[in-house]
Amino acid sequence: MTTEPADPPVDVATEPPASDHTDVPLAVDTVTDVAPELGSPEVLSSAAHGFPWVRAAAWVVVFAVLIILPFTMAEFRVEQMCGWIALAIAACGLNILTGYNGQISVGHGALYGVGAYTTALIVTNWQWPLLLATVASAVVCFVTGLLIGLPALRIKGLYLALVTLAVATLFPLAIDQFASFTGGSSGLSLTSPEMYRGAIRDRPVRFDPPGGLASDQWKYFIFLAIAALCFLLSRNLIRSRVGRTLVAIRDNDTASEVSGIPVSRVKIIAFGVSAGLAGIGGSIFALNSGRVNPSSFTIAVSIYFLIAVVVGGAASIVGPAIGAVFYGVFIDIITPELPESLKPATPVILGVILILLMLVAPGGIVGLWKVSMHKLAVRRARSSAPVT
Amino acid sequence: MTDFLQVLAVGIGDGAIYAMLGLGLVVVFRTTGLLNFAAGELAMFSTFIVWTIWDLGVPLLLAMLGGMVGGFLIGVLLQAVAVRPVGDPHERPLAVVIVTIGLFIGVNGLAQLVWGTLDKDLPPLFGVDTVSIFGVDVAWQKIGAVVVLAILAFVFYLLFQKTKLGLAMRAVASNSESAGLVGIPVPTVLMLGWGLAAAIGTVAGVFTAPGRGLGSNMMQLTLIFGFAAITLGGFDSLIGAVVGGFIIGIFSSVVPQYVPGFEKMPLAPAFLLILAVLLIRPTGLFGRKQVSRV
Repeated sequence: MTTEPADPPVDVATEPPASDHTDVPLAVDTVTDVAPELGSPEVLSSAAHGFPWVRAAAWVVVFAVLIILPFTMAEFRVEQMCGWIALAIAACGLNILTGYNGQISVGHGALYGVGAYTTALIVTNWQWPLLLATVASAVVCFVTGLLIGLPALRIKGLYLALVTLAVATLFPLAIDQFASFTGGSSGLSLTSPEMYRGAIRDRPVRFDPPGGLASDQWKYFIFLAIAALCFLLSRNLIRSRVGRTLVAIRDNDTASEVSGIPVSRVKIIAFGVSAGLAGIGGSIFALNSGRVNPSSFTIAVSIYFLIAVVVGGAASIVGPAIGAVFYGVFIDIITPELPESLKPATPVILGVILILLMLVAPGGIVGLWKVSMHKLAVRRARSSAPVT
Repeated sequence: MTDFLQVLAVGIGDGAIYAMLGLGLVVVFRTTGLLNFAAGELAMFSTFIVWTIWDLGVPLLLAMLGGMVGGFLIGVLLQAVAVRPVGDPHERPLAVVIVTIGLFIGVNGLAQLVWGTLDKDLPPLFGVDTVSIFGVDVAWQKIGAVVVLAILAFVFYLLFQKTKLGLAMRAVASNSESAGLVGIPVPTVLMLGWGLAAAIGTVAGVFTAPGRGLGSNMMQLTLIFGFAAITLGGFDSLIGAVVGGFIIGIFSSVVPQYVPGFEKMPLAPAFLLILAVLLIRPTGLFGRKQVSRV
């Protein structure tokens, strides 16, 4: 439900007339076969004909729910949802790199960690305004991403996955190694000094809410706004010329190079942007939880991002957000209900879901949605077509 | 000097373990062309099977053989059910990576589900005694690891070079389509490749467990070292896995000891090696160059 004209009749209008005896089944095949690997080439589609009322209404409903939710929930739930927002932004970044550009990263957890630590260090040591620290995290991670993107030019596919996996494994160890300023395995708290009864003490950082809002709700709205901005910018990027070259490189880098696309530059930029978004996600994670420590940035985190991207739908803009909510509901709401001895069942179920998705629906939830919408459209076209 | 030899001995012992896991990774790469990110978790799982059998009172060596059989069956099963249906790793790398990562977290969770989250104790296969060589105390366990690796490597060599099955495996590795056309049962061979890899992984797990404690995350570092070993040696070379394993083992034991800034990061030198090899000589020391037609 992102960028494609979702109105079924519009899609049908672009197909050859259904009255032709062979065309309808063909249309179904082309729809399900569009993905070269994952996701679909929906980027290239143009704006919808006429105003998409259904889509606009859907967005209004989604935003209304997102805004009402924090008023109906306990504080700890709102905090959990803030965590989902961080995950969604990072997954959005990973999606640009892996979903659209085809460079597989199993190491975005490390970039997320770099973002989180950057924010924690800046806020605690220099007392910058919190959101400025988020911007700084984005910049630091963007530059880190450019640097990682350089060797990635020569390392492709499975091998890139291997190198990034090693980065993800290395990150917590590096935090431990440089304990003198990262706090080592005990981590860092995000604090700022304040005067309290004549003495200076450190208090945990927080966003001071305007009247009427609780601190957690205000925090949630700030993060939600940042996320909306990130997703909007990603959507525009993907629809731009750069976005099209990203997809072209994923589908065939040799052909892209021959067509005059500066493949190396685009791939490096993709890495930078992707890393920058992961950094913003990490920064939000740090601001939300108020502390960072290496055990929050293990290899598992990189895997969560991949899960969010793949379950939601690689190479679709809202896919990672849907995947992040799916993952959040699964981990924060369903798992705690399980009896203690059955809790490890969660990763087992996630693993099985991942494998099944790859076998049955590589486009994830968004892909399933699209395929079913197209099928619906074809059926409608069939029933309304004049019988010859 | 004695200190250095001591560190070297530790590195060689660890290197033997990395080489064992590396052999399994090479077998999977040669037959199916994929990097198996779940190899460590499979090894961990079958090591738990070894522990269960040993816990029943069976001698550890027999228990290990039992675990190898178990690992073999699990490997065969997972290849058939999860890995093969996804398709060619070089055409759909992301899908294959996702599936092996699905196996990674799935098998990890399953081990916790079955055996709980507390570490188990598995005794060293060769006991806790040490022997003095050139004034250096070397644990029999380390020497045992090298000997077992030598045996495994020799068996693999015989299997690949001297048996019909090995010939079939090499044929499938070099061109699975043509191999299928001349009557080699390609799917079975691929399944056997995974089974063999899982079986040898069990041995790596049995040697890793006593030092690190038998828990569901024990093989994750070892896996990266194993990958470093085969990257250095060449992804498709058995001898490369062995040589690479020793080099990585020695490197990651010596560097943190003598180079400041690496004390808590034995993985860092291995990582730098992976990166350098992939950038400068992607085929590794012994690997063959992959040529693809465009």
